Amino acid sequence: MTAAAIAAPAALGCLHCHLPVPEGQRSAFCCAGCEVVHGAIAANGLEQFYALRATAEPAHTTDRAYAELDDPAFQRVHVVRAPDGQAQAALYLEDLRCGACAWLVESAPRCVDGITAIRVDLGRSRADVTWDPATTSLAAIARWLDRLGHAPHPYRGLAREALRRREDRALLIKLGVAGAAAGNLMLLAIALYAGMFGQMSRADAGFFRWASMCVAVPALGFAALPFFRTAIAALRARRLHLDLPLSIGILAGLSWGTANVIRGVGEIYFDSLAMLVFLLLVARWVVLRYQRRAGTAAELLLSLTPSRVHRLDGGEPVDVPVEAIVPGDVVRVLAGEVVPVDGEIVAGRSAFDVGLLTGESQPVEVAPGARAHAGTLNLAAAIEIRATAVGETTRVGKLVASIEAMSVKAPIERLVDRVAGRFVAVVSAAAALTLIGWSTRSVALGAEHAMALLIVTCPCALALATPLAVTVALGRAARRGVLVKGADALERLATPGTLFVDKTGTLTAGKLAVVTWRGDIDAAGLAAAVEAGSNHPIARALRGHAAPAGVATEVREELGRGIRGIVGGHAIVVGAPPWVRQRVRSQPVIEGWIAEIAERGETPIVIANDGVMVAVAGLADPIRPDAGAALRALEQLGWTVQLLSGDDVRVVQRVGGALGVPWWHCHGSVSPERKARAVVEARARGAVVMVGDGVNDAAAMAAASAGIAVSGAAEIAIEAADVYLRSPSISDVAATCAGAQATLATIRRNLKFSLAYNLVAGALAVTGLIHPLIAAAVMPLSSLTVLASSLRSKAFRS
Amino acid sequence: MTILYLILPLALCFAGAAVLAFAWTVRSGQLDDIETPPHRILFDDEPRRPGQRTLP
Repeated sequence: MTAAAIAAPAALGCLHCHLPVPEGQRSAFCCAGCEVVHGAIAANGLEQFYALRATAEPAHTTDRAYAELDDPAFQRVHVVRAPDGQAQAALYLEDLRCGACAWLVESAPRCVDGITAIRVDLGRSRADVTWDPATTSLAAIARWLDRLGHAPHPYRGLAREALRRREDRALLIKLGVAGAAAGNLMLLAIALYAGMFGQMSRADAGFFRWASMCVAVPALGFAALPFFRTAIAALRARRLHLDLPLSIGILAGLSWGTANVIRGVGEIYFDSLAMLVFLLLVARWVVLRYQRRAGTAAELLLSLTPSRVHRLDGGEPVDVPVEAIVPGDVVRVLAGEVVPVDGEIVAGRSAFDVGLLTGESQPVEVAPGARAHAGTLNLAAAIEIRATAVGETTRVGKLVASIEAMSVKAPIERLVDRVAGRFVAVVSAAAALTLIGWSTRSVALGAEHAMALLIVTCPCALALATPLAVTVALGRAARRGVLVKGADALERLATPGTLFVDKTGTLTAGKLAVVTWRGDIDAAGLAAAVEAGSNHPIARALRGHAAPAGVATEVREELGRGIRGIVGGHAIVVGAPPWVRQRVRSQPVIEGWIAEIAERGETPIVIANDGVMVAVAGLADPIRPDAGAALRALEQLGWTVQLLSGDDVRVVQRVGGALGVPWWHCHGSVSPERKARAVVEARARGAVVMVGDGVNDAAAMAAASAGIAVSGAAEIAIEAADVYLRSPSISDVAATCAGAQATLATIRRNLKFSLAYNLVAGALAVTGLIHPLIAAAVMPLSSLTVLASSLRSKAFRS
Repeated sequence: MTILYLILPLALCFAGAAVLAFAWTVRSGQLDDIETPPHRILFDDEPRRPGQRTLP
């Protein structure tokens, strides 16, 4: 297939991504990026990609050099050398979505000399690359992957993953053993049940019973080990756990069945028991897989944080990994990059967004001599910083260490374990009564009915009730972009209490925009023209407000004060009121507007034309359009919403007022430590959920009963949170809380169903009416009911 | 029915062998990733236009 052969009809748009091609464009592509990607694919003879792919979203190439991947310091940590000289590394690839992506990446050895093999794992977005270091380099491979639209990042957390893999494999083997045992025991049981009604000799029946026992006892003894272990651990800790009644049921069934096989009379329940253990392990495995996926997704986000730094070696910038920086090194930080170290600014002036660290939404101006902190964002211009602290010794690093100590949450008593506790008491009492009641006739009969009771009430459906409901909820939530780290988090989110929202980034758009304009409307275009070349957030806000009216010349920018220039023959001055007042005569009406705007917590910016102040713009972080509805939805669910922000009190109250949050629930200028204290105080009154995105929220999230991190959150906030939202909007927070409540409602319904089944089976056992066939039928039936009920759950249904 | 006394243990031995084989596949990592292989069987083995290139 050539490019011409796959040329899409014009209606389909761009050849590569199917987006509409802009009018007047003389090519088959919507943009240069798609053309480059298509060129890279076609030049290597890989057009099969277009036949295999399931989605046609535009690919993003970054055109980075990836020189830091070849640095010895990086290679020591991330690259493994095989004895035959081949090198191996694991990379996280962005945007791996479907089979076509996997195929394209795995075709690398055909297209690039020196790559021996690439294996892709779609679920983990991971590629294991093997290459010959003599022929090619990791940076060259990374550039090739980048050109295909899969920007690579070093894959962190390999050690943790190896540990998980061992656990997963052990569970899977137990699952296989239980499955094989259940299948074979079922066959043997069918023969026995058929024999009951036909003519099976005692000897033959005995042989089948012995065979059943030989399969069941070793297989179930091995496969049910996880339940026994948890039950013993729970007993030691003097806590009730659902695995306790399960273990009692399984052990009672195995020993009673064995005794009956040896005695040659009485019922054996091996087939039912094996099915029970198998179903339980399946549920456990599925839940584990969903939780792992959410956990891995959160970890991959950590891999996305910048790892390369521009170090100045004798004045020349060299890309090195952040691990290679030592105190005393000078690093250059370009506009739009995150500061990688703590240090002192030695050259350049710029503005920093310190929001992630302190929660403040207004940019901070910096100049040589000022302190810079790792984790802040450089907004305006390139600066050079002499490092004084790196890694764990930075302010951010210390904050992280304190959060790790805090985030060990006391496990909550789960609903199902509470039920299990009462269940154990009721069943034991019933078994004792049965034993005593029937022993008046014969002790053997009493023992048999009591054992039957213990076995048929073994709470299989009860054990499935939570995992099934949670699995359905987690799966649906993940598709909506809500990653929940575990079942506990859902239960914690289901009880309404206080919901603290960090204002920056969750209720507001997270960037400055013009929200008020007073005075000459035409001045907006002139201001935009003067600001056309500036990277300052205020400049961006003014540019976003109006299209530039002409081209500015003789532009002079004074960082942190303002900017001036000539547009169409007019001398335009734009800046903070004190700085403009020094240059231009003021007027009472303008001063009135400035005061009015400042009163509302907005930042006033004055525009002057030819020596006269003509307009005042009020800049603020605008409120998200969906925030009001989401807050009301949360209040309907029973949550009390409070704002807890590092921003100025007036700003917080402006946002809160616009959203209908009472002023006494709007807390401004709150330090990270105060946030955590506020959360701890509120926890004394009930459940607390903290929603945030910054390092400054992380401690509060760790202290809360559940933390929710939103998209764009700092690494440590993601780690401290129980839920991560792929979108930064508050309406997903409301959806998450509603979904958690719906999940818990499903769990309750499941518990009722399974308890009802157990009640019926138990009553039959007490009266001695239970038949092994009934037991064999009731158990799968109850499990199926619970499964159907879980699938009908309203949680996270879109 | 006496043949059962031979067949049944034999069948159970086969089942045991299958379980052992399963355990081996799990331990050798063949089931670590169960998402990508279903896609991988669709890939063509032969490139349409074999062309080895060195990287820029």
